Amino acid sequence: MAEIRSLRDAVADLIHDGDTVAMEGFTHLIPFAAAHEIIRQGITDLTLVRMTPDVIYDQLIGMGVARRLVFSWGGNPGVGSLHRFRDAVENGWPRPLELDEHSHAGMANRYVAGASRLPFAVLRGYRGSDLPKRSSTIATVTCPFTGEELAAVAAVNPDVTVIHAQRADRAGNVQLWGLVGVQKEAALAADRVLVTVEEIVDELEPMPDAVVLPGWTVSAVAHVPNGAHPSYAAGYSVRDNDFYQAWDPISRDREAFLAWMREHVLEAS
Amino acid sequence: MNTTKIMTIGEIVGSLESGMTIGIGGWGSRRKPMALVRAIYRSSLKDLTIVSLGGADVGLLCAAGKVRRVVAPFVTLDSVPLEPHFRVARQSGAVEFAEYDEGMFMFGLLAAAHRLPFLPTRAGLGSDVPRVNPDLRTVRSPYDDGEELLAVPALTLDAALIHMDRADTRGNGQYLGPDPYMDDLFAKAAGRCYVSCERLVGPGELDGPPQTLLVSRMHTAGVVETPNGGHFTDCAPDRARDEAFQRHYATSAADPEAWAAFAERFLSGDEAAYQEAVRRWREEQEERAR
Repeated sequence: MAEIRSLRDAVADLIHDGDTVAMEGFTHLIPFAAAHEIIRQGITDLTLVRMTPDVIYDQLIGMGVARRLVFSWGGNPGVGSLHRFRDAVENGWPRPLELDEHSHAGMANRYVAGASRLPFAVLRGYRGSDLPKRSSTIATVTCPFTGEELAAVAAVNPDVTVIHAQRADRAGNVQLWGLVGVQKEAALAADRVLVTVEEIVDELEPMPDAVVLPGWTVSAVAHVPNGAHPSYAAGYSVRDNDFYQAWDPISRDREAFLAWMREHVLEAS
Repeated sequence: MNTTKIMTIGEIVGSLESGMTIGIGGWGSRRKPMALVRAIYRSSLKDLTIVSLGGADVGLLCAAGKVRRVVAPFVTLDSVPLEPHFRVARQSGAVEFAEYDEGMFMFGLLAAAHRLPFLPTRAGLGSDVPRVNPDLRTVRSPYDDGEELLAVPALTLDAALIHMDRADTRGNGQYLGPDPYMDDLFAKAAGRCYVSCERLVGPGELDGPPQTLLVSRMHTAGVVETPNGGHFTDCAPDRARDEAFQRHYATSAADPEAWAAFAERFLSGDEAAYQEAVRRWREEQEERAR
C-alpha cells in the first residue's frame, strides 16, 4: 500500500545518490515539483531516464544532479534547444554527461519490457540509423521463424519512477487521465514509485480512459497541487507556455540559470 | 463521399476463399459471430485454418468439413466443457490442431497486430505446450542475461469475423458486455475484419462510455446487422446464452443421426430460416413444458 507522505520525506526516503530515476509525463503531468525537491536535497550522480527530456531535465542537468541521461529526443518543446543539456554535452559543465540515446518507439518498448519483467523488447526500428553504434542497449535478435533481423532493446527498470497525477485516494490508488504517455509502464517497471498529485480524495470517481495505478504499485503519494508547473494537469491547470519561452534566455547563460534556480528552487519550498 | 461499410452476410462470406486463415472473435460460447459462421457452414469454402478462442464456431465448421487446421487455446461451450464436434474431429484426426495457452495466443495476435513476425514471452515456459505444439520455438536474449524465452509466431489472419453489441455504418464496433475478449486484437491482426452486430446505428449514434468503443472503423472492411446473430452464444447485455438450445445442439452433435436431423431442421436454410426454426423449436419446448 502506498503511503501518503510529504514530498520532502518521500524524496529523501525513496531517491538516493547514484539511483536510476525515470520522471515521466509527455507534455502533460510532468513532475517538476519532485525534480525541484531532488535538487534541493542535493541528491546526485543520478542516471536520468525520460522520453523527451525537456525543461525539467535541463534544470536537473544544469544543477549537476545527473551523471548519465537515457532518453529519446531532447529539447524545449516549440522553443528550441535545451541550453543546460547542450552545455553539459559540449563543455562538460557543470559535469560531463554520458548519453544513451534512443528513438521514442525504442524507449516505449524498453519500458514495456521492464514492466513485463522481460529482458528485452522486439520492434522494427533503428534501421539505417547510427544509434545502435553508440548504445549498449540496442541489439538485434533473429526471428526464429522467418530469419528476419529485428531490433531488440534492453528493458529499462528504474530504481525509482516519479510521476505527477491528478488524483489519489487515501489508500494511495492513483488516477490520471487526458494526454498520458508511458507513466503506467514506467511505474510498473520501477522498484519504487513516487507520485505527486493535485488532489487526494476519499473515492476515485471513474473517468473515461483514466489510468489507475493500484496502491500496491506505488510506494508513496505526495499532495503537491500545481506540482506539474510549467506543464499542466488536465482538469486542474493549463500549460504555462510563457514560461517555456522565458526559459530560453535564462538557460542560455550559466549565471542567469544559477540565479534563477537559487531564487525559485533552492530558496523556495 | 460514400463512407458506409454495410455488407450482406452473403457478400462477406463470398469475399472469403478456401485455404484462408480466418480468426473468429468471442470466447468459448460467448459473443460469437454465429450468423457469419452459419453462412460459412452453408458455403463451398474448404481447407480453412480457424484461429479462435474456440466454441461452437469451431465445432460447427469442423462438422461441415470446412476446416483443415485449428489454432486455439481451448474449444468449449463453457457449460458443456468440450465442444462435441471438435471432440469428434480431434479423435478421428480429421483436423490438425495447434495448441496454445491463452497468454501465448494473445502474444501471437499482438505480434500480428504489430506486424512483427514473433513476440517473446515467458508464458508457457516449463509447460508441455511447446512439446505438443512444434510451431513454438525459443529465442535467446541478446544481452548479458542470455535468458531463453518462448517465441510465439504471429497469428496473422487473412480475415477476422467478430460480433459486436453495436456498430455504426462506418464500421466502428462497440461491446456493451463485461469483457472485450480479444476482439480488438483479432481486428488488428487481420488483413480484413468483418463486424456483425446486434444493432447497426448511424455515425455518431454509439452511446456509452468511450472504453466500450472497441474496434475502430480503420480496422473494419465490412459491417452487417445480424439481430440475435450470436445465437446460441451469450451476447450480454442484450441476450443471455440459450442454454436449452445449446444443450439440444450438444446432445444432437454427440449422435450422427440426431445431428443429421438437427442440421436438416436448423442449418439447411439461410439466417432468417435459422432464426425462424429456433423460434418454432422454443415454442415446442414451451408447449411440452405445459
